[in-house]
Amino acid sequence: MSGKTSIYRFMSAGCNGCDVQILECLVPRYKLADLGVEVVFTPEEANVLAITGGINVKGREELKKAYEKLKPPKLVVAVGNCAITKEIFDKGYPMVGPPDQIIPVNFYISGCPPRPQAIVTAVAKALGATLEEKEEYWATPEGFRGKHEFDSEKCMGCGACAQVCSSDAIDVLEDNGKRFIKVDYGHCSFCAFCQDECPTEAIKLTKEYHMLTDNRNTANVTNEVDLFKCASCGTYFIPARQVEWALQRIENEVSEYKDFHRNLRTAMELCHTCRRKISNIRNAKKLLSQLSPKVRAV
Amino acid sequence: MPEIVQIGPYRPQLLEPERFELVVENNKIIDANIELGYVHRGIEKLFTTKTYMQNLALAERICGICSGVHTLCYAQTAEGVIDVTVPDRARYLRCIYMEIERLHSHYLWFGVVTHSLHENNAFLKIMGEREHVQDLLEYLTGNRINYLINTIGGVRRDITSPKTERIQKVMDNMKALSNYLLALLDENGSLTKKTEGVGILPKDKALDLGAVGPTLRGSGIESDVRKDDPYAAYGELDFEVITEEDGDVRAKSLVRARETLESIKIIEQALDNLPSGEIATKPGEPLEKEEVGRAEAPRGELVYYIKSNGTNIPERVKVRTPSFANDFTLIEMLRGDLLQNARIIIESIDPCFACTDRLTVLDTKAGKKRRMILK
Ligand code: SF4
Ligand code: SF4
Repeated sequence: MSGKTSIYRFMSAGCNGCDVQILECLVPRYKLADLGVEVVFTPEEANVLAITGGINVKGREELKKAYEKLKPPKLVVAVGNCAITKEIFDKGYPMVGPPDQIIPVNFYISGCPPRPQAIVTAVAKALGATLEEKEEYWATPEGFRGKHEFDSEKCMGCGACAQVCSSDAIDVLEDNGKRFIKVDYGHCSFCAFCQDECPTEAIKLTKEYHMLTDNRNTANVTNEVDLFKCASCGTYFIPARQVEWALQRIENEVSEYKDFHRNLRTAMELCHTCRRKISNIRNAKKLLSQLSPKVRAV
Repeated sequence: MPEIVQIGPYRPQLLEPERFELVVENNKIIDANIELGYVHRGIEKLFTTKTYMQNLALAERICGICSGVHTLCYAQTAEGVIDVTVPDRARYLRCIYMEIERLHSHYLWFGVVTHSLHENNAFLKIMGEREHVQDLLEYLTGNRINYLINTIGGVRRDITSPKTERIQKVMDNMKALSNYLLALLDENGSLTKKTEGVGILPKDKALDLGAVGPTLRGSGIESDVRKDDPYAAYGELDFEVITEEDGDVRAKSLVRARETLESIKIIEQALDNLPSGEIATKPGEPLEKEEVGRAEAPRGELVYYIKSNGTNIPERVKVRTPSFANDFTLIEMLRGDLLQNARIIIESIDPCFACTDRLTVLDTKAGKKRRMILK
């Protein structure tokens, strides 16, 4: 983009955090001015629109108006996860966004909020400029809660992370004998509850904070595990590793059940539907007899 | 002939949108009206769809600037309906984290105000120095804003060496920044000229209208939840409740500047007296109960109400934020003042940032709208 870049910030229905980060970008340390970028006060003066927040009923028309007034090339940047997916406010009743449902959006900067460093770097990238990345302040400290990473050796696909997730950012999908744990980090509040709750410490929030994309469907990290087939009816129903993990835990923690181990395994290899079919002893015997020749002798 | 001047809802500099309608005659504000709702997200309803733990993340996103005290107040209130005791170390750690937050919030307020008043050097100095606090928060908690450090039953991260030394170092720097702010507000200070006598909120009105926090203390009333109804470890720490008599914008600024020094004092004391032990207890089951909790946010008293039906999802959560209490005092402060002061008056209550760049002047007689930019 040639000429001066003038950004107008528009906010509706976010927490204000992203707005503060944009203000912080004006501090010389972040070198926003070095890129020839200024923040202006009216949409008429601007050629770039930075949106924060997920847009509610009251903000919708205002957003359209602001977009119309923008000077060419009318670049629109969604700053922060609210502006990408409405994040934690997704199911809020006054919400009508995300913004790209209302006006065209060119770039998405993920984060909650994105660091000023991420915003400035994203702006530079969008402008085709390069920034010096030497200074220590571009680095993230230990313990930073950034983009997720799976340890595919450890993840057993149990979906505990999806259950505790504060922002409905994790989907558990199944297809053709596989289970996918999909973290939509554009929908994530970076609370790290998933990391805290994961029984096998398989999911981690890393120090990576550059999460710029022009296609919001790419803002995710996915892990894949194999599913196990029901020993009776043959449908896929539970991750194979989860069965092993559960049995191992029973063996370690309640060793008095050790003797039942084989029976437990047999029971766990049945899907819910098949288990529910057991309504009386005769049923149970019939089912078990299909599975194990030993039962027949009983 | 009076005309109606609209401020907002969208002002680009910082802030959340809000709309003000001022009735103006000869440049003097006769009356004012406030319209909210541009940031409404249906949070109280959302609270009843998530578990107590998940709601921590939601509570902190009510306001990104005082996000920490929202999680604290929510957690404290939830601790009233859930069977759990907070360890002593966590109580002290909570004070440390919350006072660091007050520092960043108050400094940010000065940043916004100097920006509005075109004190560009002061703006760059304040925001530049404030970065040390932001870096510190990121280093201690893993995020610059929305740090989710409080949890039900304690805090999520401990403070030990070398974090302790880093905090101490930043506090030494911040004392200098606070003194710089005080200098801006002394007799010949550049802020004094622009804020003295502006937007006066008399003592009785402050009380009548239910003002809270620095807005109330700037009108000479000594009221602070940390003192009046001590929570966390505030009852065991020595600090002063800052008040100023004048009730104008300068008084409110002075309260904030002096409070930053008190916050530093609290942080240092809490670090020196940090009890040993655990930083969190695992919460038990929710009981069938209701609870009200409050805490002193940077902008004033924050109130949470939680009704539990014994399940892990609350039945009702109600939040009264300090800005909501203070917003209505604006009408009083704006009345009788000059139009050019409107913006600084609105900002003086720190309404999670006011929104005052764009004006629409409505000529009531001709029924025409004229747009002005307040810079
Ligand atoms: S993305 Fe996060 S920080 Fe930004 S407005 Fe939304 S909740 Fe706030
Ligand atoms: S950090 Fe994990 S648990 Fe938290 S919102 Fe993101 S995906 Fe969900």
